[in-house]
Amino acid sequence: MVAAMIRNVFKRFLPVTVWLAVATVVVAAMADQAQRPPATAISAAPVARPPVGENSVRFLVLGDTGTGDRAQYDVAAQVWKTHLVFPYEFAIMLGDNIYKSDRPQDFARKFARPYQPLLDANIPFYASLGNHDDPNQRYYKPFGMNGQRYYTYQKTDVRFYALDSNYMDKDQQAWLERELKDSNAKWKIAYFHHPLYSSGAAHGSEIDLRTIIEPLFVKYGVNAVFAGHEHFYERIKPQKGIAYFTSGGAAKLREGDIQRTPLTAKGFDTEQSFMVVEIDGEVMRFQTISRHGLVVDSGEVARQVRPETQP
Amino acid sequence: MTILKGAGLIVAFAVLVAGCARAEQSSEPAPASASTVTPAGETPIPSVPPVGSPPPAPATAAAPDGQPGTNAQAAATVEFQDRIKAYLKVHNEAETKVPNLKRTDDPKEIYERQASLAKAIQTLRANAKIGEVFAPEYQPYFIKIVQDDFATRSARDRKAIISELPKNMKVDINTVYPTTLALATFPAALLQKLPDLPPELEYRLVGRSLILRDVKANLIVDILRDVVPTIPS
Repeated sequence: MVAAMIRNVFKRFLPVTVWLAVATVVVAAMADQAQRPPATAISAAPVARPPVGENSVRFLVLGDTGTGDRAQYDVAAQVWKTHLVFPYEFAIMLGDNIYKSDRPQDFARKFARPYQPLLDANIPFYASLGNHDDPNQRYYKPFGMNGQRYYTYQKTDVRFYALDSNYMDKDQQAWLERELKDSNAKWKIAYFHHPLYSSGAAHGSEIDLRTIIEPLFVKYGVNAVFAGHEHFYERIKPQKGIAYFTSGGAAKLREGDIQRTPLTAKGFDTEQSFMVVEIDGEVMRFQTISRHGLVVDSGEVARQVRPETQP
Repeated sequence: MTILKGAGLIVAFAVLVAGCARAEQSSEPAPASASTVTPAGETPIPSVPPVGSPPPAPATAAAPDGQPGTNAQAAATVEFQDRIKAYLKVHNEAETKVPNLKRTDDPKEIYERQASLAKAIQTLRANAKIGEVFAPEYQPYFIKIVQDDFATRSARDRKAIISELPKNMKVDINTVYPTTLALATFPAALLQKLPDLPPELEYRLVGRSLILRDVKANLIVDILRDVVPTIPS
């Protein structure tokens, strides 16, 4: 009697249960797909906007560029198009400037030719070294390194620190501390190849490096950090008052590599990308632009003032 | 005995670190800076403790299990630094035979200069042998430093480091580091523990080997094999 009742219940409700389960899986898959849209799904995103500040410091951020392949040239074309809307004054390079072979002709194919319009417009580049770069690139004038593996320069009230994260020896640390300490610049921006925080499956956060240099960034009031190495874009939730960006997909792409973690504020790993940034008084505004010219992330970072770092 | 051994190791390590402290400034001047660029300082050359400095600690801490004691380590440190200095003499002599390296718009100049310098050093060191700079007396300390460093790392961290190292690459001394291969990032914490090097040289890890690389010539100066531990599968 009881067995017959159970059989009856299963007979009546099982098909409904099965259909519900199937529907749940399909909806979940669709939701997952929606979270990670293909390149075409963001076609409604706006194109780059012009800078806001009249006298702001405007720069371009390029990471992991030097492949010499089609993707690099496509991104480079977009970089130049963006300049017409957002006239950045200079470019910072986050390393892996020349992949693999670095014969003289490679400097042309992997750098000078794709960025020819920028070079013709006298837009200076300030490169940092990646793990694929021969340190002797520092003698190549268009990279703006002045013969140094690590160096610093200032644009109005913004001081930039280009570091060599491949080889963080004691001398570089001492130099960094000295330069950070001696600067009264309103903004301090550091950039280098390896991200201190990353949700990338292939590499992840560079913890050794973070242990050594982040305390200096905190102590001496670095506001924002840009890194490459991971072939995607990721904006990290501010850490210890510092804004961290990874932008290592200006030619290479590691599609689907971001393993979203609590670190991630925004990730984009379905297309190559680059950034344009302006620093305008107390605000840093950024736009991240895809290979096809769509703005995939944008926002503002307010300048953090730490009492101990006040000049 | 265990306490004595421990104390001996601590003293030995302190002597190693102190012995590697540098006192001289690099003779290479920083190039003139552009209007907005402040160049970084180059790294100074490590020095042997000056004549008249206190002698190394006596060998009271000699380890009973065949490990070299304090005196042996101090001597090995001095030996390593002497060999670095000897290499720098060769490097500097080779530098006099090639045009000065300067900033240029023409990458060909950089490329040719690097190749010429490498060739000059290769000629001057035609009979170089493995262990010429990584003095045999010093090798156990290098191995211990690297292996101790890896032992403190998580499995994920070890895997991350090792996965980035160039593999299946045949390295030999006095040969050019293949330009098609990445120069794997040197783990920053490990770098803090190794003796300082002059700016002309750097440590790199290739496969399981620790190499000394001449930066300007892109030349492998010496190799210490089987230093990097293997990851258990």
